[in-house]
Amino acid sequence: MTLAADRILSLLLLGLAAFVAVQAWQLEVPFSYDPVGPKAFPLILSGLLAILAIVLFVRPGASGQWPTGALLLRLVFTMVLLGLYAALFVNLGFLITTALVSVVIAWLFGATPGKALLGGVLLAVGSYLLFTHALGISLPVGSWIEPLLGER
Amino acid sequence: MFDFLIDGFGVALTPLNLGLAFLGALLGTLFGALPGIGPINGIAILMPLAYTLGLPAESALILLAGIYTGSEYGGRMSSILLNVPGDAGAVMTTLDGHPLAKKGLAGPALGLSAVSSFIGATVAIIGLTLFAPLLAAVAVKFGPAEFFALMIFAFASMSAMMGKDPVKTLIGAVLGVLISTVGVDSGTGVLRFTFDMPELYDGIDFVVMIIGLFAVSEILLMLEHAFRHDAEGEMAPIGRVMVKLSEVLYCKWSILRSSVIGFVIGILPGTGASVASAVAYTTEKRLTDHDNSFGTGNMRGLAAPEAANNASAAGSFVPMLTLGIPGSGTTAILLGALMLYNINPGPMMFREQPVVVGGLIASLYIGNVVLLLLNLPLAGVFARVLQVPRWLLVPSVAILAFVGVYQLHSDLMAIYLMLVIGVFGYLLRKFGFSLAPVVLGFVLGGLMEENLRRALSISGGDVAILWQSALSVGLWIAAALVVLLPLAAGRLKAKLMEKAA
Repeated sequence: MTLAADRILSLLLLGLAAFVAVQAWQLEVPFSYDPVGPKAFPLILSGLLAILAIVLFVRPGASGQWPTGALLLRLVFTMVLLGLYAALFVNLGFLITTALVSVVIAWLFGATPGKALLGGVLLAVGSYLLFTHALGISLPVGSWIEPLLGER
Repeated sequence: MFDFLIDGFGVALTPLNLGLAFLGALLGTLFGALPGIGPINGIAILMPLAYTLGLPAESALILLAGIYTGSEYGGRMSSILLNVPGDAGAVMTTLDGHPLAKKGLAGPALGLSAVSSFIGATVAIIGLTLFAPLLAAVAVKFGPAEFFALMIFAFASMSAMMGKDPVKTLIGAVLGVLISTVGVDSGTGVLRFTFDMPELYDGIDFVVMIIGLFAVSEILLMLEHAFRHDAEGEMAPIGRVMVKLSEVLYCKWSILRSSVIGFVIGILPGTGASVASAVAYTTEKRLTDHDNSFGTGNMRGLAAPEAANNASAAGSFVPMLTLGIPGSGTTAILLGALMLYNINPGPMMFREQPVVVGGLIASLYIGNVVLLLLNLPLAGVFARVLQVPRWLLVPSVAILAFVGVYQLHSDLMAIYLMLVIGVFGYLLRKFGFSLAPVVLGFVLGGLMEENLRRALSISGGDVAILWQSALSVGLWIAAALVVLLPLAAGRLKAKLMEKAA
């Protein structure tokens, strides 16, 4: 199973090496005094990567256990959550997004709903105060709240 | 000859830098003690803060180096108390540290490891002080060709020494170098691998890369572990906190030997604490373990890896400060941090940046004393950090990662990129890669290409320039040796075993 994983990886790496080589080959080089140019180094690297990938295919090593089922779902969910965090970070503002994300992550990591709610909100408020007041870092307030405050 | 150190103490003893050394030691110990957050993660997460505070280069480096050495101290906590190594360098510490804790000697074990760490680091810092100027004097003779050969040596020694799988180590390094080629090519202005995304024109930002690779992937790994319930044992009671002098004296030779081993291995580019502590442990086991008590709670078995991993942390500064080649994954990050300050790492750094180099070395002396003073009496307090629940820790890591990257770039693309790199890092780790080679490749990649091209433009494209000087030939031979010797030794051993059987 783990051997198969390494074999698949080596094929992916071979593909990457080919992709890099093609991309590098297509670089248009304007006239320059540089005898090497921008192509050579990536080409050498892709060659090296291809060789290493073949070695890996022939002698695959051990790799860890792969997550399946519910755990995989949790991992994907966490990444989606972090993506949403990024997407809403500016518009909704640091405080609200951070509180929401912290509550959900805390819950994902097995905290009871009450604890998650309390911990998440405290983390958001606490880190907001720490960053803005103690460290002088400006964080997005949220575009929806600015008109309410009458600020620009 | 030691002017740099005197000037360095002048720098390190300013109130700001003294405070930062203290803060770094404290934060480092805390971060090292937190489950799942080792030295690299600690630095990765806190690095953006150092910039946002607007610190000058030497102060930022003092803070980060404090975090580095501090987290080597903190890493032992979970090893000893929970049998869960905080990072690769602390794996050997669990072997005798945890059995000691089970015997009810958790407090003395913590104390002993603090003392051994202190001695290991002190030996190595003195070594660094003596050795660095010598190496720096040689380093000045390095041209681009020698520099290129040196980097080949660094990757060779890394692949030979690090991890169980040299092929994966090399693949990781190549991937790191490849990532460093993204962006405008400095020689010709050609855009490489940017896929028409303007955000990539400047290349992949160092902070984004490091935080994604380490912090984000760590979040995913912690989520996995949280539901596997492995090794998460009961925490042993700490008991008396102080270690007895007789216990330290019992280990004195083990500590000293391991300190030297750690320092030497730390100097070798590309090999860090994990190799050092493993070599020190096996050496001590062979030399002093007459009653086969290593692994069952022998004090020497704890002191040896602890002295060695702290010594190697200080030792890995030698190549970083004199040659610009990091000795470990963590120093690779420190080096990248310096590059953000437009300080060019390399053979000239020691001469051109005496304030930074001297200040850093002096602050290592200071930080080491601070760490001992913090860790001996406060071991019990730090140990409480271990009980911070994951459900609070993980959101905090996420917050720090987001704020750090957002603060530097005010750009959502950077955050998305960080997340993508995080998934990449997670996948690499699941495939059994270690991330240090990737970072090393990423940090050294640009320099490597630059030096290769500079060398070849000097020679007009003649590749032979790469092995024309005695120095570079020596480095190529050294590179070949570090790869071939372990292989040959392995073969020989196998043959001997066959004969014996």
